[in-house]
Amino acid sequence: MQRRKTFSIEIVLMVLSLAVFGLFLGAVLIYYDNMFRSIDMKEEKLNRAYAKQYEMIVDNRNSSLWGEVYGLAKEKAALNDAYLNIRRADWSTEYDKTESMDMCIAAKVDGIILEYNGEAGLTEKINEAAEQGIPVITIMNDPNKSSRQSFVGVNDYQMGHAYGTQVARLIDENTEDILILSNRERELDKNQLYSQIYNAAAGKNGTIKVREQNLISKNQFDVEEAVRNIFQSADGPPEIIVCLDEVTTVCAYQAMVDFNMVGEVSIIGYDASDSILDAVEKGLIAVTFTMDAEQIAEYSIEALTEYWEIGRSNTYYTVDLNVIPAPPLKE
Amino acid sequence: MNEINTEKKRRFRLKDLSLTTKVLFAVLFVTMIIFIVNLVMYTQVNRMVNSMGQVYGSNVSLNELSEKLEKVHESTYSYLEVKTSDSLEEYYKSAEDYQKLLESLNREVTENPVMLLEKNIRNMSETYLTETDAAVSYKRGRNVEKYRKSFERAGQLYDYLNSSIYDLNNYQFHNNSENFRQLQGALRSLGLFSTALIAVMMSVGCLMLYFMVRGVVSPLTNLAVTAKYVGEGDFHMKLPMNDSLDEVGVMTRAFNTMVSSLDEYVSLTRENMEKEQALKEKELLMEAHLKEAQLKYLQSQINPHFLFNSLNAGAQLAMMEDAEQTSIFVEHMADFFRYNVKKGNQDATLEEEVESVENYIYILNVRFAGDIHYSKEIDETVLGIRIPSMILQPLVENAVNHGIRNIDWEGRIRLSVMKSGENILISVRDNGKGMTEEKIRQVMQGTVKTEDNPQGSGDSTGIGLSNVQARLELYYNQKNLLEIRSGGEDAGTEVLIRIPFIEETM
Repeated sequence: MQRRKTFSIEIVLMVLSLAVFGLFLGAVLIYYDNMFRSIDMKEEKLNRAYAKQYEMIVDNRNSSLWGEVYGLAKEKAALNDAYLNIRRADWSTEYDKTESMDMCIAAKVDGIILEYNGEAGLTEKINEAAEQGIPVITIMNDPNKSSRQSFVGVNDYQMGHAYGTQVARLIDENTEDILILSNRERELDKNQLYSQIYNAAAGKNGTIKVREQNLISKNQFDVEEAVRNIFQSADGPPEIIVCLDEVTTVCAYQAMVDFNMVGEVSIIGYDASDSILDAVEKGLIAVTFTMDAEQIAEYSIEALTEYWEIGRSNTYYTVDLNVIPAPPLKE
Repeated sequence: MNEINTEKKRRFRLKDLSLTTKVLFAVLFVTMIIFIVNLVMYTQVNRMVNSMGQVYGSNVSLNELSEKLEKVHESTYSYLEVKTSDSLEEYYKSAEDYQKLLESLNREVTENPVMLLEKNIRNMSETYLTETDAAVSYKRGRNVEKYRKSFERAGQLYDYLNSSIYDLNNYQFHNNSENFRQLQGALRSLGLFSTALIAVMMSVGCLMLYFMVRGVVSPLTNLAVTAKYVGEGDFHMKLPMNDSLDEVGVMTRAFNTMVSSLDEYVSLTRENMEKEQALKEKELLMEAHLKEAQLKYLQSQINPHFLFNSLNAGAQLAMMEDAEQTSIFVEHMADFFRYNVKKGNQDATLEEEVESVENYIYILNVRFAGDIHYSKEIDETVLGIRIPSMILQPLVENAVNHGIRNIDWEGRIRLSVMKSGENILISVRDNGKGMTEEKIRQVMQGTVKTEDNPQGSGDSTGIGLSNVQARLELYYNQKNLLEIRSGGEDAGTEVLIRIPFIEETM
């Protein structure tokens, strides 16, 4: 009887150890299988193959507008079996747009969405791409003389009118000087824009000076320095500053706050990043313009898709310009 | 029984395994588990090491790609510079090598930035090789302007490629580092896991061995204790029953069987010794009775040898004097005494006994002038059996002396020998004085007063009824072989002997 008892203890121990062992084995196998699968999945998830590869080349991919446009366009591209990549500047050399274009052409991509800013040699690259059969969609500005496939953006007249209206609204008896800060090549000078603003100012007060300063030739961090110089000039800053891009807007607004000139200087901004919207809300920036990101995304991809599907696309896609805050209803 | 055994045999039970197998099994069990744990660990570690290897493997292959690209560019430059056939060959070779390496790169458009970068590198490399090929062929065609331009363009692409490969390298390294960190963590936890498991398994193994060894040793301890008791003569001590077929079970059963056998053997020996003792006592008693009978006989007779020799001489003398009656009488007497002398301490056949009785009756009838009317009824078939000697004559003598002597009517004595079933009935009946119940009881108990039968009266052969009874009981090893019946005063007496009919005695 005693032996039977001890033997059953042995069996209990055996069963127990087998159970522990089984649990361990199961746990280890499941744990490591899951781990390896998660590693594999992390990559496989991204392994969907697309028929086309489009590249997006913009000045500042971190701007909220381009971030939004890229996100939307990528989704739309995916719907059309294409992958939209934005040029990375994370790792090494920051290439300028011409070089980025060059690389895209060498990499034989299927389409390029380019934020055109009139950079030297860029038009040639657009033409080269077209020669290689790569459609280039320009956004923001339109290189008229190039072989770009389509342009997606706001037309100059529309833009000039919108800016002119806002400038006119801000002019008061103290306004003497209006400064337009542009960030584009001189060849792209948008007569429509300037003339509309000029006309709006002149319409209010013929003595108001309308000046224009181009910040394109400056180096990477020179925009900020240039804007500060404006505030520190002997004549003092202009009463109204018109900014045509996000960085300039933020710099102007920051300089105004830093030099304690809130109320003395009115800023008409561009873009609707969080900090700009915040400033608009606080009344530090009088008004800001923003292009409809969804329209840019949709039209760009539509142009590329149509090009590949039917061999051609519209040359011109007009995007709405939104004013923030929205103008009050006319009395 | 056999079926049960085979049934048992068919059913596999762990405890039926031999101790060696059992211990081997326990050790194997634990070893196997630890082995499998190690195997699993090893497999997982191997898998992880492979994964880690891939982490750097991709970086290594990119470095190779980068080196080959550099070689292509150098050899292009070298050819353009010196235009030797060696440098041309070098260019073609390195371009081919580079092309081969490109084959391993992805060509699909995917969301995976690494794959996409690979695709871009591949395409750019192809553009680059087209450009270097163009430069080389323009050089051969001595189109200076064009090969310069092509090389310039190739140089630009070379920069882009290097930068892209660098980016890819960084990207992979970044990704792989994440995986590496994860793997490293997993490796660490696997180490902890398995160390804990091995510790648990070792403890379980030790416990198993402990219980197994205890299971083996405790019956042995029991055995030692029980053996000690058995050694001291306690054969009722048994080991607890054990039906396992291992050595301990076999030994336990063997020990129990041994103790049982010892017990039986000792009992048997004791019984035999007792029997032997009883037999010896019986022999001694028989001898003593015989001695007593002989002593009594010798006391009552003058040297019988001398007597029956003298009687023989007397018989011959009577014959010579033509006294036939005397001669027959003396002859009978001689026979009677011869029989007494010869058979005094032996057994005899029933026939011899009957003959002795007849001799005795003849002698008495001569003495008492034919007063005794003797008759017999004998079953001839039983005459050959052997009985103790001097049995019948004392009975007849008693019938004469105490039954028919001094009666007023004609005295008769009847001897009958009959076979009754498995027994032989011998009856000596007289029509004499008879006996009261009281007297019968006294005679049977041997307490009868001697006044009726004074010793040494000269008429008796000296052998009493109690002596006859004792010798019969000793001879047949049975009680109540002799019975006395009487109708009472003057109604005669019958002495009845019932002896077993034993063929062997014939």
